[in-house]
Amino acid sequence: MALIKPRLTDYYNLPFTQEEVDFAIPFLDEDIPLYLDPFLLWKSPSQQDNALHTAIVNSFNHLGYLTNKGNEDEAIKTLIKISECYEVGLGDSRKRIGKPIGEKLASEIITLFKSIPQISKSGFVHFEEIQLLVDQFSKDRVSDVACSYIKSFLIDFTIDQCNKLGIPMDKTKLEVYDYKKHMFVEEEVTLPQNPENRLPIILVPKRWLRFIPWLNYDDYFITSFAKEERERVEILNYNRHNYGIVQNYIKYKELQQLDCESDPLFKPIPVLSVKRKLSTILKLPTGKTGKADKLYEDYICQLMATLVYSRLDFADTQSRTDSGVQIRDLIFYNNRTYDFLKDIYDDYDCRQMVMELKNVKALEREHINQLNRYLSDQFGRFGIIITRNQPPKNIYRNTIDLWSGQRRCILILTDQDIKLMCQLYESKQRLPIDVIKRTFIEFLRECPT
Amino acid sequence: MKEKVFNKVYAQIEALHREISLLSRKNPNDGVSKFKLQFINEALREANSILTDKQKPFVDFSEFDETSIPTTSDVTLILAQYLGCLEEVRLDHI
Repeated sequence: MALIKPRLTDYYNLPFTQEEVDFAIPFLDEDIPLYLDPFLLWKSPSQQDNALHTAIVNSFNHLGYLTNKGNEDEAIKTLIKISECYEVGLGDSRKRIGKPIGEKLASEIITLFKSIPQISKSGFVHFEEIQLLVDQFSKDRVSDVACSYIKSFLIDFTIDQCNKLGIPMDKTKLEVYDYKKHMFVEEEVTLPQNPENRLPIILVPKRWLRFIPWLNYDDYFITSFAKEERERVEILNYNRHNYGIVQNYIKYKELQQLDCESDPLFKPIPVLSVKRKLSTILKLPTGKTGKADKLYEDYICQLMATLVYSRLDFADTQSRTDSGVQIRDLIFYNNRTYDFLKDIYDDYDCRQMVMELKNVKALEREHINQLNRYLSDQFGRFGIIITRNQPPKNIYRNTIDLWSGQRRCILILTDQDIKLMCQLYESKQRLPIDVIKRTFIEFLRECPT
Repeated sequence: MKEKVFNKVYAQIEALHREISLLSRKNPNDGVSKFKLQFINEALREANSILTDKQKPFVDFSEFDETSIPTTSDVTLILAQYLGCLEEVRLDHI
């Protein structure tokens, strides 16, 4: 099985969408491009989240305690250990496994506990501010440090979610930070495992995730510095010697906490934007004149991901070459969250839905064959071609013949269907995906019994 | 008793026609929600039980198919036809 961007739930054939669950569904072969932002725990109305934030900060400040006691080596060792938490799969790694920080960077961070008097005396309140004081310590490190410190809680959360949703788990040994002893202890726990490499997977509540931490270097640079070219390292040095500026920035961001919200993995585009994109698509010429094909593909990608959202999770766009022709596809996970989606899963083994985009005046037999050749194990025997105009009768007949001969279902959506989908998205009277369902039912009515 | 049923169906179809006409004027190509369709179909089924085959507006039509996403103008057209046919029956019985 070679699913496109496989997720844990797809591997086990579990039918729920990202919208329906409390955690970010992890990918099996790459990281989720989101980060745990400790600020969201700090600002949360939940006492539990606040307590976890306190635990993270206290544990981090313990490194300062060790440093001030002259036990710097142990502090560095611990910091290196907590700087990577591969089990959660957050960040931008293409293999789900990153590397911990080096000794030099760890030592630079630990030195902050000695070199900045305010930190030496009272420790950090938001350890994310290290991004503003040390180079090479970025959002993924902030996220991994926070996850490492609350790993024990995350394991309990994962077990709870897996039991609730029926995700299979297995026994595994993990090193977990002990908050009382301030050291790592090995524990045997039951966790879901990555079926490809048997490594444990820990789930993270999606209410704690953001694309960029609330406190970050770029935002600090914009809000606190005059707009002129300055070297990053020069600013970081300045910050270490003028810590008051960093403290003021943090106070300012704390006051703005109401604006700090978690980011969803996918955000549908607003109605106005949908209307603009549709009007641009309808005006585009067919063919390749003025890169019309590329524009058509780009706009349809953005539109379709939004129009079918909440029923179909968007997986990826991909380009492939068939007989020397460049083809652009949209891939969606089929979560079987709608009667029609369940039908195509059961009848056509459609685990991922493929939509092929064709900005042509008239669909040809070869276009149908291109998609037909591509329908394989993971896509099952169901695919959609999105094109500009109604196909000629003989081409439509061809799709019916394909169904008759090989029980393969290839639907054709045109500009008119996309227009109706956009209209339904705006009016909210029906789900836009109903247009695909209608096309599917009409197609089946044409097929011989 | 028959008269009571007729009066009820007539009033319902008339009210539905009035409501959907308003929507149709604003967005004639917009789809009608499943919730509305369910009740429109219920009223149409009652009307079909009253009208004979000759009195019905169309031989091939009995109710809307929910999966076919009828537009507001489609629904207005059909309701207007039914209203016309029911009016014919009413006039015949005065």
